Amino acid sequence: MEKIYIVIPAFNEEKTIARVIDDILIANENFQIIIVDDASTDNTVEIAAKRGVKVLRHLINRGQGAALKTGTKYAIMKAADIIVHFDADAQFQANEINDLIKPILKSETDIVFGSRFLEKKSDIPSFKKNFILPVARLFNQIFFGIKLTDPQSGLRAFRASAMKDIDWQQDKMAHCSEILHNAHKNNLKIKEVPITVVYYDFGQKFSGGFAIIKDIIFGKFLK
Amino acid sequence: MNITIQQFIALVFVLFFIARLWQQKRLKQINSSEFSFWFVFWLLAALAILFLRRIDALVGNFGFSASGIEVLLYLAVVMLFYFIFRMRIRLARLEREITKLVQALAIFNNKKE
Repeated sequence: MEKIYIVIPAFNEEKTIARVIDDILIANENFQIIIVDDASTDNTVEIAAKRGVKVLRHLINRGQGAALKTGTKYAIMKAADIIVHFDADAQFQANEINDLIKPILKSETDIVFGSRFLEKKSDIPSFKKNFILPVARLFNQIFFGIKLTDPQSGLRAFRASAMKDIDWQQDKMAHCSEILHNAHKNNLKIKEVPITVVYYDFGQKFSGGFAIIKDIIFGKFLK
Repeated sequence: MNITIQQFIALVFVLFFIARLWQQKRLKQINSSEFSFWFVFWLLAALAILFLRRIDALVGNFGFSASGIEVLLYLAVVMLFYFIFRMRIRLARLEREITKLVQALAIFNNKKE
């Protein structure tokens, strides 16, 4: 049986982390969950640890991209076959992980991205749906030549063996674009599957988009 | 060569910075390439101060109305922007190194538990 690891970066998510863990285990009790605490100041770690899942702790806050990488490295050390990136804020639906990994289990693809813009309906805030995300889509099309319906999606699954091809350096939110770009550049088979996202807050703002562009530009000078 | 009092004061400043640079090199607080860069920088600054009138004439020949000292100020602003950019890059590199340490520690501490 394939070893499937769910990596969840968490920063001050005490209100939702228990529900997220429980929902994932209901979706499939064989999923291995890794919580990467990004130096939370609330009870995220204690709550997650009580659920009996693996908790890795960053001593100082390094951002979502860095936390995902810590968890991914650990999953690879544990001989994971498939790695899923999931959020701790309960926006994603745990049962959709099964849809996400299906194309990989069937050996149809190397990496799968969840998309909020396919058949399923997500209640995306209108400014985000009609302005921020289309701008992000256009940016990825122009600068990276990537045509995906949802290039900023944080829900993704990939073969552990694909890590060498998608390995990202961005610590903060620009990791989404970098993973996508690397997968595209290294000719990985990419697929999108529809997902539902429930918005409890606005999430990443327009200013966050500028921060991503700034991080991508600076990242180019660090190589 | 006649030099004005302002040029003289500026040269004293440059000499002071070169002396400090020399001291830093002697105490091994900076490496050779860093020393060379700043030494050439201050040397050029001293030459620019000494030949300010020539720069005035040169700027005039290019058709600019600004005086030499103004051109030097513009150049200084451009250089400052460049140095800030270099510092940002260095900072980003340091941030990346810190992340690597934090990630390694997270996995290492987990192994100990």
